[in-house]
Amino acid sequence: MDATDAAANQRLPLIAVARRLPQRLRGINRLGFALIFLIPSLVIFGAFVFYPLLKAVYLGFYETDPFGNQGDFVALDQYRTVLTSESFRHSLWITFLFALYTVPPGILLGLALALLANQKLPGISIFRIMFSSTVATSVAVASLMWLTLLNPSVGLLNYFLVEAGQPRIDWLNDLDWALPAVSATTVWLNLGLAFIVILAGLQAIPEELYESARVEGASDLSVFWHVTLPLLSPTLFFVSVVGTILAFQSFGQIHILTRGGPLDATTVIVYSIWQDAFQRFDYGVASVQAVALFLLVLGLTVIQIRFLERRVFYQ
Amino acid sequence: MSRVVFDHVTKSFGDVVAVADLSLEVHDKEFLVLLGPSGCGKSTALRLVAGLEDPAEGNIIIGDRIVNNVEAKNRNVAMVFQNYALFPHMSVYDNMAFGLRMRRIPRRERDQKVLDAARMLGLQDLLRRRPGELSGGQRQRVALGRAIVRNPSVFLMDEPLSNLDAKLRVQTRRELVKLHRQLETTVIFVTHDQVEAMTMGARIAIIHEGALQQVGDPQEVYQHPANLFVASFIGSPAMNFFHSELRLHDDQLMAHSSGGRFPLSEEQARALAVLKEGKVIVGVRPEHILPDWEAEEGPEAGLDVVVDTVESMGHEQHVTFSAGDTTVVARLDAARSLQEGERLRLRIDRAHMHFFDPDSGQRIERE
Repeated sequence: MDATDAAANQRLPLIAVARRLPQRLRGINRLGFALIFLIPSLVIFGAFVFYPLLKAVYLGFYETDPFGNQGDFVALDQYRTVLTSESFRHSLWITFLFALYTVPPGILLGLALALLANQKLPGISIFRIMFSSTVATSVAVASLMWLTLLNPSVGLLNYFLVEAGQPRIDWLNDLDWALPAVSATTVWLNLGLAFIVILAGLQAIPEELYESARVEGASDLSVFWHVTLPLLSPTLFFVSVVGTILAFQSFGQIHILTRGGPLDATTVIVYSIWQDAFQRFDYGVASVQAVALFLLVLGLTVIQIRFLERRVFYQ
Repeated sequence: MSRVVFDHVTKSFGDVVAVADLSLEVHDKEFLVLLGPSGCGKSTALRLVAGLEDPAEGNIIIGDRIVNNVEAKNRNVAMVFQNYALFPHMSVYDNMAFGLRMRRIPRRERDQKVLDAARMLGLQDLLRRRPGELSGGQRQRVALGRAIVRNPSVFLMDEPLSNLDAKLRVQTRRELVKLHRQLETTVIFVTHDQVEAMTMGARIAIIHEGALQQVGDPQEVYQHPANLFVASFIGSPAMNFFHSELRLHDDQLMAHSSGGRFPLSEEQARALAVLKEGKVIVGVRPEHILPDWEAEEGPEAGLDVVVDTVESMGHEQHVTFSAGDTTVVARLDAARSLQEGERLRLRIDRAHMHFFDPDSGQRIERE
């Protein structure tokens, strides 16, 4: 840079820099240029997703001493003992049941509500808001509400049971009822999301298709079966995948309602991870389960995409 | 018998009256076109026949049966929608067979009917495809095929050609007319395109603001428009209108407008005697306006005009003139070219004048 240039730069520094900018950008290769834009999300994902994930895999190779400090390197031994243990198998089974109790009923209820709310009636938007309101409800609030409803002595559910001449049930402390009770709370909690997504899917179906089906002679049931359901299949598929992932990650409602009890009847994998990590401070064992949960959800999602998506019609 | 009758039918949506006291009979096996500008209620009229809307007042009759309370699926009508409304998740075959399946027609008979219709429409090779894999014209055929296979008593078509490109539209127009001749079924065809209406319809029913304006064959509505709306809506370029006053000049009745004056025949004068105020709207189609190349200056009958714009169509030219504060459009042959700003005198073919009452807008017919 010679003296005249420097003088020019002093007079109009910004313009001078701007004039050179394109040349400099051309110097950086395209990948580097793309990375500049990716840095913010890479930093966030790196710090909160990739690093913890790798750290969990890593921690799984080490035992943890009774004080919560990293102990001896045991390679895959800890993975083997934890994953074959009776308690892990139990929490896996509970998680599976929990998903079974929450995902299909959640989709069916969401579909039913969405079909109701898809009618063209005056004031229907009030119902749409009501049906979707659980989206805006926090896990804690929902759990406390259901804690009251499920209360063995003053709860509404038992009130109806007694009215019907049935014995009271201590929902959350009953070995058979605790998991269904927690599942019911979860279904209610996730219903808003399923409702909103399915309603949006319903509204994307053109009105003329219903009309032409009617003119062609289809009954209401046939219209639903041959028109609504196939065209809604991508939406239902999406809701089932997201619902399954949500079920496998549920924690708050279990923590508030049952603390995994009674006798581990509601100890899903996430709850077991939390107990091992933050009650027993056995980070190694918790990490092994966390890695297992990650692989499980990944595998399930892949299977769902592979097999369920074949039956889905995309426009 | 598959005539369709609208008997004083009214339908409104909130405050908007879509169909107002419509009475119209569509004859058995007739190709009737419902024509009108968008939002005039013609589609609603069609949907009333289909059973997709219920009339607020009046009766819809198909054959000899009042169908007001008959569900769409039990009316034995078929509808072709503007965007075809094909089921995107079904093959062409399944789309065409849908109505037969819903009616539980046995498989073998169903296959036969679908194949017959597919052959008639040239769709044999596309039966396994999905609508998304077809061109617009092919989709249109599938929609027709779906209507044909059920052998319905009435075909309802809601602007079925409007999503096709211009060339295909002309071709499909002819094929539809041919198809109608083959099938011998009542067709009600809704369009806003007067060319479609004129070329396809055995009769045209013109609808404006929910009310029937005129029914007649294409020649009739063109040559004897019942009112100002029909006169202005049918024909392109549109009819010229002159708001005129009737005056007597040496025993000769003349219609004076700001653009010029036209002498009237005795017969016309007699017909116009019904007008109390002596005011009339004279309508003249662009092809009935002729330049008077040998005209001399002076108070002759005719229009003294200045050429505004010239649109050449090749075989003819559409010339816009200004005459006083009115604009006049004429269809002239292309033999003589006109320059913008050129002054000339136009003659009007007296035999082809239309007269309308300025108050009611109704045609004043010569006796």
